[in-house]
Amino acid sequence: MNQLQMDFNLLTVEILMATLGLVVLVLGLLIPKNQSRGIAYFTTIGLVAILLYSVTMQWTKAEFLNGMYLIDPFSTLFKQIFLLTAILVSVGSYQFMEKYGHNQAEYYSLMVFATLGMMVMASAGDLITLYIGLELMTISLCVLTCFRLRDAKSSEAGIKYIILGAMSSAIMLYGLSLVYGMTRTTVIAEIAAAIALDGVSPLLLLGLVFLVAGFAFKISAVPFHIWAPDIYEGAPTPVTAFLAVASKAAGFAAMMRVLLIALPDLFVHWNVMIVGLTVLTVVLANLVAIPQTNIKRLLAFSGVGQAGYLLLGIVAFTQLGVGAVLFHTLFYVFANVAAFMVVIAFYNETGSDEIRDYTGLAVRSPLLAAVLLFSMLSMAGIPPLAGFVSKFYLFTAVIDQGYVWLALISVLMSMVSVYYYLIVAKVMYIGKPADDAKPIKVSSGLQIALILCLVMIFAFGIYPAPFTDLAMNVANTFFTP
Amino acid sequence: MIENAWLIPVLPAVAFVVIVFLIRQFKMLSALTAIAAMAVSFIISVGIVWEIIQGGATMKKPVEYFVNWLDLPGLNIQAGILIDPLAAAMLFVVTFVALLVMIYSVGYMHGDPGFSVFFSYLSLFSASMLGLVVANNYFQMFFFWELVGLCSYLLIGYYFHKPSAVQANKKAFITNRWGDFGFMLGIFFLFLVFGTFNFGELAKAIPKYDNVAFLTLAGILVFIGPIAKSAQFPLHVWLPDAMEGPTPVSALIHAATMVAAGVYLVARGFVLFHSVETVALVVAWVGGLSALIAATIALVQDDCKRIMAFSTMSQLGYMLMALGVGSLTAGMFHLTTHAFFKALMFLAAGSVIHATHKQNIFEMGGLRKSMPITTWTTVIGALALAGIFPLAGFWSKDEILVAAYTEGAYALFGLASLVAFMTAFYMFRMVFVVFWGDEPEGQHAHESPLTMTIPLIILAFFSIFSGFIGSPLVETGFFSYVYYKYPHPPEPNYMIMISSTVLALAGIGLAWLIYGKKSISAEALKQRFQPIHTLLYNKFYIDELYLWLFDKVMLNISTAFNWNDRHIVDGIFDGIGDLTRAAGARLRFIHTGSLQNYALVIFAAVVIIMLWMAVPALGGI
Amino acid sequence: MLQQYAGIGVFFLVAAIFPIIAIGAAWLVRPKKPSRVKLDTYECGLETQGPTWVQFKVGYFLYALVFLIFDIETVFLYPWAVQFQVLPLFAFVEMFIFIGILAVGLWYAWKEGALEWK
Repeated sequence: MNQLQMDFNLLTVEILMATLGLVVLVLGLLIPKNQSRGIAYFTTIGLVAILLYSVTMQWTKAEFLNGMYLIDPFSTLFKQIFLLTAILVSVGSYQFMEKYGHNQAEYYSLMVFATLGMMVMASAGDLITLYIGLELMTISLCVLTCFRLRDAKSSEAGIKYIILGAMSSAIMLYGLSLVYGMTRTTVIAEIAAAIALDGVSPLLLLGLVFLVAGFAFKISAVPFHIWAPDIYEGAPTPVTAFLAVASKAAGFAAMMRVLLIALPDLFVHWNVMIVGLTVLTVVLANLVAIPQTNIKRLLAFSGVGQAGYLLLGIVAFTQLGVGAVLFHTLFYVFANVAAFMVVIAFYNETGSDEIRDYTGLAVRSPLLAAVLLFSMLSMAGIPPLAGFVSKFYLFTAVIDQGYVWLALISVLMSMVSVYYYLIVAKVMYIGKPADDAKPIKVSSGLQIALILCLVMIFAFGIYPAPFTDLAMNVANTFFTP
Repeated sequence: MIENAWLIPVLPAVAFVVIVFLIRQFKMLSALTAIAAMAVSFIISVGIVWEIIQGGATMKKPVEYFVNWLDLPGLNIQAGILIDPLAAAMLFVVTFVALLVMIYSVGYMHGDPGFSVFFSYLSLFSASMLGLVVANNYFQMFFFWELVGLCSYLLIGYYFHKPSAVQANKKAFITNRWGDFGFMLGIFFLFLVFGTFNFGELAKAIPKYDNVAFLTLAGILVFIGPIAKSAQFPLHVWLPDAMEGPTPVSALIHAATMVAAGVYLVARGFVLFHSVETVALVVAWVGGLSALIAATIALVQDDCKRIMAFSTMSQLGYMLMALGVGSLTAGMFHLTTHAFFKALMFLAAGSVIHATHKQNIFEMGGLRKSMPITTWTTVIGALALAGIFPLAGFWSKDEILVAAYTEGAYALFGLASLVAFMTAFYMFRMVFVVFWGDEPEGQHAHESPLTMTIPLIILAFFSIFSGFIGSPLVETGFFSYVYYKYPHPPEPNYMIMISSTVLALAGIGLAWLIYGKKSISAEALKQRFQPIHTLLYNKFYIDELYLWLFDKVMLNISTAFNWNDRHIVDGIFDGIGDLTRAAGARLRFIHTGSLQNYALVIFAAVVIIMLWMAVPALGGI
Repeated sequence: MLQQYAGIGVFFLVAAIFPIIAIGAAWLVRPKKPSRVKLDTYECGLETQGPTWVQFKVGYFLYALVFLIFDIETVFLYPWAVQFQVLPLFAFVEMFIFIGILAVGLWYAWKEGALEWK
């Protein structure tokens, strides 16, 4: 066997993350509990620093441990997406956690570790590494989900998440072991070579089914989305935002790596499944979103719908498809986290997540209403906002591969989605606030984050070229070994 | 400087954002922000003009830079900057007039409750107009074309509490939609065939393309855009009504810049419009006829802003005629000089309205004594517009007449000469009625403040002297920079010079006899030519014709469609909507909240997929 | 290819049917004489004390978790201890990093009161 390739410089981002998580934890032990606000700021600053550092590795393409861990532009971009989400969510957590949380250091360090898990997933070049990342992420998120100790809903969500998560992990592990059994390797690149050599066997297909089911759970594709609404609703809202964006993105990163790189020879087989999941997801999620009365549930279903659109990029199985997924994910970070931050700010002040309580929000806080409106319109794909461009790319990617009907269904369901987004807009803008309604105060940190998101939503839509170029260039490097 | 051209539209756009979101409460600060942004844009434009005089860019070698806005296989849309003498001239005109209008507005809009909003709109308009001018492709141009249309809509309806203003802005918007529709179809056709929106690439590709029918179609479709935007017959009906907006807006948008965008588009796409004879003919004749129709209507109007509106339409017709007969230089030259003296006329009219609060010229009179600056600047503007030697209008109008004559378009030449006579008449009719004559009772006019008179004086200066840069008196002038294919220095044709001057003087003289000295009774003339007067006064009943068309024909068709919509289409869509809602309401109940059910669903899904994959027909083995 | 797996399919079928037959047969032929002692919960031969559905104190789990962490540490330490003289310096440092991380964990558990029996 060759000498192991162990250039630890490649792992700087991951090592920094682990260090940050530990330092935050230790800080929490040293600093008295009632003075722990600084820990939150420290986490945000640390995450920003790591994000800035990761830019220096933007185009690095190298292997660690002979292909078991891959550092390439694809994984780096995903890491940046996770970091961005973590930064925004941490900013959104300040007030919420002070009001409803109990141990800030635990909270932020768990968030950092969950992000680390996602990074490992995105970079994994080996099925076992992938699984370890997945578990690190899932377990951290489980704890975060039930972080509101005295809230029954939060505890319920945590229990549900841990049991269903364990079940999906089991299914996925079964799939991984079957794939290993049929190819005698867990390294992704070698799996592809082994399948090319040995051909396809039914057991391998069985493994594929389990794998797809496991991933579908993580990205909450219908019918594996069934856990999502309850858990999104019960979890503390910042955690919901994190779950809805980052963990989904991590699922996509790993799924693309496994399906497109390890199992391209099974394309005809997984393609059928993914197309089926896409149709179900896009149709069902958008329909079920309509009667929702809780804003977090509504956003949960809209997030499920977005996962459906993202699946289009995998169906296409081209560079354009991968690039479109990257671009959509990047935009989705800003749009969805922005929406959730509005929900957080609103909840901090009123303690309610019901859509009917949003009546007259435009008067009570024009900024919150505007951000929620534009992020929703963007998710619905209204030009000239970001969502329009990214959906345009996704649809072009599948149409190029001849799936006109699939694009058509997606467009139709996009139109349906406008309906339920506009219900919220109507409540916010046309409804008159109750007489005792006070203006909603938004802390300056949150304001900056909201405005940043708003600017990005417009920037992505009005001048998408730099971002699409980035996504397409990354996609170009994805397929070359 | 040329590499900084992108700043020119960006600065006013930034000013717009800053005013709307940050400093709307502070009125003077808002105005200053808008003016400062415009001033910097103006300075950059001057720098660009200077560099072009140094040879920094020519019509053959324009400076172009762009980024890909959308880059997909088979669809590439750029966002870019194209600077050549044509664009530079337009940039100078727009930034200059916009700057003066903004300064003027500080005085004119003083005390208006929407002061800051007004300046933000002006900034947004300037940004979109400048974006249109520097565009390097049809798509970008169309984008800003729509945006200036929107700003125009907003500004016409600025006094939204007046029903007439609301009617007018709707009319402008709807009429312009027709033009935009044609323009859009045209550029999409071009894109389908040539695969690009870029001006330079199209200019190379079009001459090599030989499908005459297609080029005719595309050319005429694109030309519908300018017809609407530049208020040419038959889509001119919106311009007179657009005078409901504040007067500075009329000066900036509906006289000097936006309406000239149509002319600019024709100049930009000159290759397209001259690729087929028919299209060029259409352009020339639409321009010529509009010039005539508008001039005749202007003879009898009595609202001072409407007279000027028709005069604008008539002059724009002149420019299009020049472009149609093949002289890019003459058309653009007239656009430039016209912008100065027409902006001057409008701002002077605004000054008068500001002082008297009236718009009907027959309700004013004798303002010469109380408003000397306004009076003499107006006279300079009117002389320039009438084309009296040696003011700006003389040189540019002369060049158009020469172009028509040398290209052998004698009919158009005759028509244009007739228009020149009428122009002189109706302008001085207004001047004599408003500034000479007897003061009506209760008129307490006084001169406007300095912020309003200084722009008038500056514009008057340009109305006198700007003509020389393109006159045959200089060796290198406007014509050495702005041209098509190769420069055409103007050759002085004394016969035309003299005849047009005589015609203009005759017009002024006739106006003096009727309205100044009153030796010919206006009433008697009106009685004598009653049918013609009524026809002209009602603008050839074109508005009424459209109204009838809309009321009787369109409405009946609409009613039929409406019924169809209500009962058949709506029925279907309501059905789909209800179905969607009902489906959503049913489907939500699969989310029971019970953990066991969820686990079961996931497990069942895995089993179903497994079974499905086991069926060979569905991709299984 | 399906034929190769036919054997397994048959095996699955037999495996599914066999317990049914076995249990069914036992159910048919067994004598049925229940008594109190016979129905008692089986607890390693001892007599049951109190109800069987009791809740364990959560402290047990905390102890178990902390124990588990050090168990795993030992698993890693053994092979390292045997070999560390021939391993490069880096492996030596790395193990201390690992132990350091665990120490932080223990510190955390201690401080949060996981080691106190309340």
